[in-house]
Amino acid sequence: MLDLFLRSTALVAGTLSLLTALGVVQPAFSQPADPAKDPVVLGVSGPLTGQYAQYGAQWQRGFDLALEQVNAGGGIQGRPLRVQFEDSQSDPKQTVAIARKFVADGRIVAELGDFTSAASMAASPIYQNGGLVQFGFTNSHPDFTRGGDFVWSNALNQAEEMPVLADYAVTALGLKRVALLFINNDWGRTSKDLFAKAAKERGAEVVGAEGYLADEKDFRSALVRVRDTKPDGIVLVSYYADGAQITRQLREAGLTQPVVAAGSVYSPKFLELGGAAVEGVHTTTPFFPGDPRPEVQTFVKAYSAKYGLEPDAYSSRAYDALLLLATVIRQSGTDRTAVRDGLATVKDAPSVVYGTVRFDPQTRRVDKPLSTRLVVKNGGFALWEQAGRDPATAKAAN
Amino acid sequence: MATQSTTPLLEIAGLTRRFGGLTAVNGLSLTVGQGELVSIIGPNGAGKTTLFNLISGLDAPDAGFVTFEGRDVTGLSAERLAALGLARSFQHGRVFGNLSVLDNVLVGAHTRLRAVKPQIPLVGPLVELALALIRPPSVRAEEERLRAEATEIVRMFGERLTPRLDKPAHSLSYANRRRVEIARALALHPRLLLLDEPTAGMNPTETAEMLEIIRGLKARGLTILLIEHKLDLVMQLSDRVVVMDHGARIAEGPPAAVAGDPAVIEAYLGHKAVGAANQDTGQDANAAVPVRIAH
Amino acid sequence: MLPTTLGPWLDYTINGLVIGNIYALLAVGLALIFGVSHLINFAHGSVYMVGAYIGWLCVTKLNLPLPVTFVTVAAGCGLLGAVIERVGLRPLRNAPRIAPLLATIGLSVVLDQSAQLLFSPDPRALPTQLPTWRVAIGGGSIGALDLLIAGVGIGSAALLYGFLRFTKLGWAVRATALDRDAAQQCGVDVDKVNRTVFAIASALGGVSGLLVGMYYNTIDPNMGFQAGLKGIVAQLIGGVGNVPGAIAGSLLLGLIESYGIALFGTSYRNLFAFVALILILVLRPNGLFARARRLPPEPLTGTFIAPSRPLVLPKGAVWALAAAALALPLVVQQPYLLQTLGNAWLYALLALSLTLVAGTVGQVSLGHAGLLAIGAYASSLLALDAGVPVLLAVPLAGLVAAALGTALVYPAFRLRGHYVSIATLAVGEIVTLVILNWESLTRGPIGVTGIPPLSVAGKPLVSGQWVYWVPLAVLLAFAALQSRLLNSHLGRTLRAIREDDVAARSYGVDLNRYKGLAFAVAGFIAGVGGALMAHFYSYINHETFPAPVSMLALTMVILGGLGNVAGAVLGAAVLVGLPELFRAAAEYRMLIYGVVLLLLIRFRPQGLLGTV
Repeated sequence: MLDLFLRSTALVAGTLSLLTALGVVQPAFSQPADPAKDPVVLGVSGPLTGQYAQYGAQWQRGFDLALEQVNAGGGIQGRPLRVQFEDSQSDPKQTVAIARKFVADGRIVAELGDFTSAASMAASPIYQNGGLVQFGFTNSHPDFTRGGDFVWSNALNQAEEMPVLADYAVTALGLKRVALLFINNDWGRTSKDLFAKAAKERGAEVVGAEGYLADEKDFRSALVRVRDTKPDGIVLVSYYADGAQITRQLREAGLTQPVVAAGSVYSPKFLELGGAAVEGVHTTTPFFPGDPRPEVQTFVKAYSAKYGLEPDAYSSRAYDALLLLATVIRQSGTDRTAVRDGLATVKDAPSVVYGTVRFDPQTRRVDKPLSTRLVVKNGGFALWEQAGRDPATAKAAN
Repeated sequence: MATQSTTPLLEIAGLTRRFGGLTAVNGLSLTVGQGELVSIIGPNGAGKTTLFNLISGLDAPDAGFVTFEGRDVTGLSAERLAALGLARSFQHGRVFGNLSVLDNVLVGAHTRLRAVKPQIPLVGPLVELALALIRPPSVRAEEERLRAEATEIVRMFGERLTPRLDKPAHSLSYANRRRVEIARALALHPRLLLLDEPTAGMNPTETAEMLEIIRGLKARGLTILLIEHKLDLVMQLSDRVVVMDHGARIAEGPPAAVAGDPAVIEAYLGHKAVGAANQDTGQDANAAVPVRIAH
Repeated sequence: MLPTTLGPWLDYTINGLVIGNIYALLAVGLALIFGVSHLINFAHGSVYMVGAYIGWLCVTKLNLPLPVTFVTVAAGCGLLGAVIERVGLRPLRNAPRIAPLLATIGLSVVLDQSAQLLFSPDPRALPTQLPTWRVAIGGGSIGALDLLIAGVGIGSAALLYGFLRFTKLGWAVRATALDRDAAQQCGVDVDKVNRTVFAIASALGGVSGLLVGMYYNTIDPNMGFQAGLKGIVAQLIGGVGNVPGAIAGSLLLGLIESYGIALFGTSYRNLFAFVALILILVLRPNGLFARARRLPPEPLTGTFIAPSRPLVLPKGAVWALAAAALALPLVVQQPYLLQTLGNAWLYALLALSLTLVAGTVGQVSLGHAGLLAIGAYASSLLALDAGVPVLLAVPLAGLVAAALGTALVYPAFRLRGHYVSIATLAVGEIVTLVILNWESLTRGPIGVTGIPPLSVAGKPLVSGQWVYWVPLAVLLAFAALQSRLLNSHLGRTLRAIREDDVAARSYGVDLNRYKGLAFAVAGFIAGVGGALMAHFYSYINHETFPAPVSMLALTMVILGGLGNVAGAVLGAAVLVGLPELFRAAAEYRMLIYGVVLLLLIRFRPQGLLGTV
């Protein structure tokens, strides 16, 4: 309650001061005389307001933590690393303006974001023509990196992720008749097709596929359709909020089949919103807090200490992306083209999400992401243990 | 003058309009001859305005028919009737508030514009758009001519309206809005003019001026159907008076004869007020009840 | 489960009724407010969201028992409703009728943004304290919360009925609903009635938010918009201002959606809802449950637009400004500034288009982004799939948007006032949903990638100067054409329709012809604007032109002055520029935007340059 009170006060005070300061230009970064101490700045274009604001907030938590760690470790050869986060609302008209701003601002070394495909890809031509790396760390649209040689992504590649999910559902869990619910956007749609193909290759059949709208909350009637295809398992290509909602409603509708969800449901919110209904849901994730690797444990501990929360998929991606770019810039320097070339050559950069990162210089995407099989157990994500199989080998099955 | 010509300009037979349980116009029959001025009087709620709405095409009758110049126009839309030469004013002075006085009058001449004439679907409107944007000399000349004519019409109302030609209509007094309405109706070059209480809200001087204007229109041979509460005005202007009550015609004849009709007196006394208010419940029944909370 | 093929249909029916039950909670409050204030309250969804958050505080932070939570939520939101009425709407009593509608949009921005700042944008769980038993019906089940929601819906409708029938204040409310002026003359305290109605409706809205939050175990600051939209659709189906009709309309909407899913699939749900809305608006403009042969419950005389004395810029000044704007990139080379202004010019095309239909003809469209989308897709697909050169594809896209846009809105031409707004809003949603579902043509959710840029003689026009100059040149050309149009006989004809369509008809103005003409011109301008955006963005999908773009366009038009060509350009420049200026304010900037919008409506409802 106190926290809320403080925030309300801050809200009122902030609004008042901003209204009085209307028209006052944002104070420019002070320019220290010594260029060796100048900050190295990464531009971020992402949603802090509007309907996607929750994801921008998660990014920000990941970025802030990564910045602390980079700068505590001496920054970039002694220069502090900074992030200039511009709110785009994931609105294309704003992302293109931000892109012009970043391209024209000589201090910006590379750019991260934006969130939605429509917003990110509208800005790609500007980054490409301006010769500034656009690093779309959550942009999984299959054509995203085709924007040009300055457009890179370490987002999970569905062409890699969906076979892994199909392995889990078909090979490991033995499902033969799968019904699929997918969010009807570019990511969901691409995933659906790739999953169907992968499942077929593994001897299973997708008996029904229902695409739902992004702001849907009621799935009862969609689930009647799913039920009537008589599936032996249900696969969700969903984000955490809709994934939790579907799982609740399918359990209420009396559907008891196993549920396998794409890695994007991996978030403490999935457990919170889904409650008891998500018990037993299977998912895969490249990042898992229980992973014993030291970089993961460092991240999880620092994150929980700083925010009092478990890290989720988007904050871990943001954290990881920033650390990756810091590594690349340390190796290749702050020249924009050098950053692009550095991404092509970076090898075995440590990554919370991927173990180590290496880009395919042709597709400008990461190959071979890690994958851990999880199941929701006792209200938490736990490693899935197949009878007679050691959990450690369940990891990195690809 | 103003004798009945061979075919009446307007003929109405058995016209009926019901609103729910209320019969606003009940089997009414009426003729108006060429060049005639016929007045309709009656207590509030007698159905006079509803009758006007039925004649002018804003409302459709449940029964009966209307012929205009020998042609059946029952249920024809208001815009078609306007094109045939029927112009009307409204009880409460419906001017186009944000348009200038001149533009208000020019809208009255809408049906006469050459650009408006092509009625072929799709092509007609596109031709009209092209003419409006390109504005060939013929279109410009027509516009100039109409402007001059509209200014001339406004001059009829003398100093009250002429200096306000370019003022928005919402800035005018109530009486002036009624004048603009009549000017707008005249710009249509009507064959039949329907005037709904043209002097409502006017003081005696203004009423006398309006009387002179209507008298002048009549003298020019214009056929007029008039709704009016001010009986002395009716007596002075009308060739014939029709008395309505409860949607039906209860009397008809020359002004003097009607004034002495006992049925008329009873209808008026029964309703107490003759022209006391501008409200006509015929209109009210027509105006929608805005909302139902529950039923 | 039933053994026959009837089984799934029984399930679809029950599911439709369950979700309709939820829509009803919001529709009842909206109907009550519309009944008395003749206002479609876009802030109602936000009040619903506030109710959910008050409930969340009571349940998770204060651990209050459920009945206390209910009372707290109802009291809190009732108070909020009274404040909204007093501060946001009462000062606009004598303003044009579009002003309160916009004020509710502004209020909803302020409420949603404040909640986002206070509670963070993350969704939160709102656990229910009700027993968790469920009764199986057919293949589905119904729980305690379903019954409680139905009980609250029907109970509140019954209470309202009793209140309106049997209390003195209720009589006053009904009298005000029938004729506000007459009620006032009879000594009814209309302000008090309005306040009471807002308080009751908002209390109900807040409780709805609480219940629905518990139902889905999820609340978030943006939950109100979509819910409010469904409530508006539901109450229009039932007949605006008709409380029992709103409940019936909600159940019907739920059924329509559920059967739509059954027949065509899940992603057709909203398409069904909006097509049904249009059909009902066109066939039964007063709703399914209104008595027949009633004229639409809108005033017969045109009071939608305020009396105004527009500011007229001298011709010389206009030329000088245009020349200065054209010369700007020669002086200023900051790409960010040029891009922002270029965006402003592109949005000015949208505003120009909307100010023609909403301002000049008085058909306030809330779905104008749909025209951008049609233009953008037409040009992209012509260029990519038909190999049409971009320079030719853009004007062709304008023609496609003109034809398609007019055809889509045509059924709504017979509607008036707020009904036009809702119908166009539905048309905008339908455009988006068709784009999403017609995969063979539009590539569905994947979107259109690799759209070629505008180019002249093989040289792409992608630099900062060109993204400024191209839209500006197109804008100046269209602005000149539109001014010429407004100065012709068409200008006064179109404005006459806006001022008083009944009088206009009586003077031979064929409404369909001129509305069609205006929408065609507007569609062409917006279509070209959308096409240019597509070629600049290189990628578009169904989310590139979402519903908030339509709201933004309307705000631009109101800000500049309805029907005002210069005003549309100014409005676009200000509203594209302001959020960029407020960039320093980061997450506060949308809140500031909402506050500025409210102040503007309050103090200058006729817009900066005035209605033309």
